[in-house]
Amino acid sequence: MYTILIFWTSYSVELIIQEGGIGIASTSFFIALGVGAFLSLLYAWIIVSRNRKTWATLKCVGYTNSDINSLVWGFILFTTIMGFFIVIEVLFHYMAIVGYWQAADAAVNGTVYNIANLPLVSLLPVVVTFIIFLFLQILAILLANRKILKVRPIIALKKVGE
Amino acid sequence: MTMDKDIMIEAIDVNKEYRRAGAIIRALADINVTIKSGEFVIVQGPTGCGKSTLLNVLSGLDLPDSGRIIFDGENIARATEDRLSRIRRQKIGFVFQDFNLIPTLTAIENVEALLWPTVLREKEIENRAITALRDVHLLERKDHYPVQMSGGEKQRCGLARAIVHRPRVILADEPTGNLDPESEKETMDLLKQINKDMETTIIVVTHRASLTSYADKVVSMDKGAILKIK
Repeated sequence: MYTILIFWTSYSVELIIQEGGIGIASTSFFIALGVGAFLSLLYAWIIVSRNRKTWATLKCVGYTNSDINSLVWGFILFTTIMGFFIVIEVLFHYMAIVGYWQAADAAVNGTVYNIANLPLVSLLPVVVTFIIFLFLQILAILLANRKILKVRPIIALKKVGE
Repeated sequence: MTMDKDIMIEAIDVNKEYRRAGAIIRALADINVTIKSGEFVIVQGPTGCGKSTLLNVLSGLDLPDSGRIIFDGENIARATEDRLSRIRRQKIGFVFQDFNLIPTLTAIENVEALLWPTVLREKEIENRAITALRDVHLLERKDHYPVQMSGGEKQRCGLARAIVHRPRVILADEPTGNLDPESEKETMDLLKQINKDMETTIIVVTHRASLTSYADKVVSMDKGAILKIK
């Protein structure tokens, strides 16, 4: 999901750079950004809520809130960074497919392509997207921190069904 | 304040009330109990008698409404959350009825997890985890996940986690509640062995009267009050 969003955002940024920041590209960019922010918050909420008993157990055995926060930051940042590695891999395949299709079209039909108009994604939009998504993760981390503070260690001692 | 060096935990005039569905429930009523270093104590009583609340208060997981809890010479009833976390990390081992192992970690990782926030090196953490697993006869299962272990093995893994940092006290809340009789005996024998070999103070909360034979001291509770200590 992250991979699709990151790819979508990168491509929107690429189009904004080409179009000068107006039109469908910027709308697409803001939609991707909104969905990205929502998913980041949702992911943080799921990580904390679904593992409440684990966090409570760790608090019981002596983990402080900051110890647990560090673990959650690790989860969230790991997911984002892995998403980018996958995007980079996908971009290579995407550009190879576009290149292959156009080369075949040029050979069979004699179509002439201008390299400046090819629907490729360059490095700058990917880097910009990476920075934007890291910033979105800060929101997620803040939400996670607030929720972790509320987890009481005593939950770990509650029996199943209690 | 002077204190007997042999005293590990002392509860003095401890009271605790809960509000549930508009009603006030007195979970602990004027509790006074002294637990000496190296003692094996069983807190026993029917469901809802306040024994788990007492365990929570003695370990700093919950705070009393009034009274003092002197843990190893320090009043933890007024300690900050961070201080309580550090006391638990350094001095207390927990054993849970539901084992509370992390399902995505192997047995050895579950044991090591307790030491991850410490300054110990990775090799030292691993060595200590291996020693703890050997002490509970679970070393051959160190790379198994909780889902691959029986109830008794999970509880032994929980015991290894409770002793890996060499705590002064182990608190066990119904540690045999989810075990068959054979695993129950195995777990209680191990707790007794830890108590003897490491001179660790053990406090077990249980509703099973049959386990009192393991104890040096039995605290019987009902309706939030201590009925007798023998």
